[in-house]
Amino acid sequence: MADMVNVTIDGNEVSVPKGTTVLEAAKTIGTEVPHYCYHPGMSSPAMCRLCLVEVEGAPKPMPGCVTTVMEGQVIHTQSDQALKNRRGVLEFYLVNHPLDCPICDMSGECNLQDYVHAEGREQGRGIEPKRVFGRDDFGGDVLFYGDRCVMCTRCVRFMSEVEQDHRLTVVERGNRSVIDTFFEEGLEGTHWHGNIVDICPVGALVSKDFLHKARAWDLAHTPSICDCSQGCNISLHTRDNLVQRIKPRENLDVNAWWLSDLCRMDYEWMNRGDRIEAPLDRSKGGSKVLGWKEALESILRATERSEGSVKAVASARASNEDLAAFKRLVKGLGGGEIVYRSPRIEKDIPLKGFPQLAVRRDRAPNTTGANIMGMIRVGDDSATGGLEDIAGHDGIVLVLGDALEDQPNTFGANAKLYVYVGQHESAATTSAHFVLPTTTKAEGEGTFTNYEGRVQRFWRALDPPGMARPAWLVLGALAAELGCGEVVRSAADSFAIMGVDAFAGITYADIGDRGTVINEIVLVTGV
Amino acid sequence: MAISVKVMQRPEPESTSYLRAALSGMALTFKHMVNPAKVTQQYPEEMTELSPRWRGTHVMEQHADGRPKCVACGLCPTVCPANCIRLVGGEDDQGNRYPIVYEIDEFRCIFCGMCQEVCPVEAIHVGRHFENAEYTRDRFVYDLDRLMEQDHPSTLLWDPSDPSSE
Repeated sequence: MADMVNVTIDGNEVSVPKGTTVLEAAKTIGTEVPHYCYHPGMSSPAMCRLCLVEVEGAPKPMPGCVTTVMEGQVIHTQSDQALKNRRGVLEFYLVNHPLDCPICDMSGECNLQDYVHAEGREQGRGIEPKRVFGRDDFGGDVLFYGDRCVMCTRCVRFMSEVEQDHRLTVVERGNRSVIDTFFEEGLEGTHWHGNIVDICPVGALVSKDFLHKARAWDLAHTPSICDCSQGCNISLHTRDNLVQRIKPRENLDVNAWWLSDLCRMDYEWMNRGDRIEAPLDRSKGGSKVLGWKEALESILRATERSEGSVKAVASARASNEDLAAFKRLVKGLGGGEIVYRSPRIEKDIPLKGFPQLAVRRDRAPNTTGANIMGMIRVGDDSATGGLEDIAGHDGIVLVLGDALEDQPNTFGANAKLYVYVGQHESAATTSAHFVLPTTTKAEGEGTFTNYEGRVQRFWRALDPPGMARPAWLVLGALAAELGCGEVVRSAADSFAIMGVDAFAGITYADIGDRGTVINEIVLVTGV
Repeated sequence: MAISVKVMQRPEPESTSYLRAALSGMALTFKHMVNPAKVTQQYPEEMTELSPRWRGTHVMEQHADGRPKCVACGLCPTVCPANCIRLVGGEDDQGNRYPIVYEIDEFRCIFCGMCQEVCPVEAIHVGRHFENAEYTRDRFVYDLDRLMEQDHPSTLLWDPSDPSSE
């Protein structure tokens, strides 16, 4: 190709597109040149001086983050000159860094710690006292420890270039320079400031929510999908079977490296303790705990006795597999309308520097999936109301995943058969004849379809409580007994037999951890 | 194959007599009666000399104002091979990181002393102490207050004047 450039990096010949920086070219051979100020999502000021590499023919070391490769260039990232340079720069970084790693939240995932450990001096030579700034509350979820800062200005550039709301700046000069907010303004009112904690290469910016909560090396990371219809790729960081924090996961097609503050703080619901832990039979009064086999058999017997039309409530928080199995079950019982409710905010909050990403109006991860399967959105924007004709229905009432917290305890009291499948009980579930416990998205596998029709997988991060099982397994087994679909034993098989045209031919292997676009794009239309 | 029987001869009385062995045993006993070197130790009036490498139940060092020196960095639960330390970090009213919960299960502990070696602030130490009897098992889970109350000395493996053993 004409616009490819051949260069030699550390003895490896590589061919990269014209305009690629040395730092990015080195990544193609698996060499990570240490750097602080460079971030692929923002401009490069070349001010950290850590990515200086040796280029043959150049009079002095060149910063790898802004030097673009040229034909026939010979670059050394691990030569004596490059190593000596990094060693020297790292020593300068430690002149004022407090080395308070034991009490720093970044410890264990800190770039300064990693680089100094790999290439820095064993012993410090500084004898002068270090300058002290103390810590500053930047507002929002962010605390600033000025002493730890390496002045890479990633946070300043994020706020000005990506969020495009100038809230941070560098004040003072020389070794007194420090990141600060404008007067008393702070970061309140911005919707993406949590990202500056992620991109801070050291522990200068830390999250108040996560402060001292867990050490980085104790956390298990599980890929997952966020809870708004944008479908941001996230990583659930768990310890002691609890979600401790949410971090964004890079996916250039969806959210790049960013995640909104609203989504970042929305994890406590996955840690709720008041869960349904066993299948319950309340059809004969009282509440009897059943085994799964017994429970499913009792429900099947009850469906034979119960007559009347089916009315069903689903949830846009359920996965595609769950919704498809629910639909099959409703079909097996004679068919009927399925409705769902989902919360909405006033309008999309886009990220100005990356406009394809926004806090979407739809605050449920799978509204598109529910719409594709022909489910109808009812209720208002706070996911309440809209169930008047179901509450007093005298046939069969099925509920999946919606805790019905706004409904009175007379909900479903007239029903011949009322089956509640979900995670939490509320007043409206007291008249349910059968209550079946299911898993949340953090406890099982599945897929969500985001607003643009991209189907993305999430993985299991937590152990489910008690006897809770994925809804696709439970509902799929019931539907199979009623002659709709077959019994499946994995989420992948459950996805394969969904029988929805939009997903036809797609497998879990196609989706991978980056997602794939479904066959026909169904736009989400407002109700 | 036919089973053959081997007839064993009884040993001669000279070699089976217990008399010689009994007498040599008695000789040893009487030797100890007159031996000036005492073997029996009069515990608890007389305490055992502990080895300089002795590692016993833990002690938490504290600041002059009674706060624990621990900063809840999480290195001791990470390094502990017996997984006997439970730590929950938090922030006190002066903005310092401190352990909200710090518990050592002394039954699980194997007294390797790695918690002391890894501690960056010289807070947790293994002690020169061995009398740990309790009436219940749960008393062997030492919480932070209990660890700070321990009044026995720290192990001789740690020299306060040279904390990082240089």
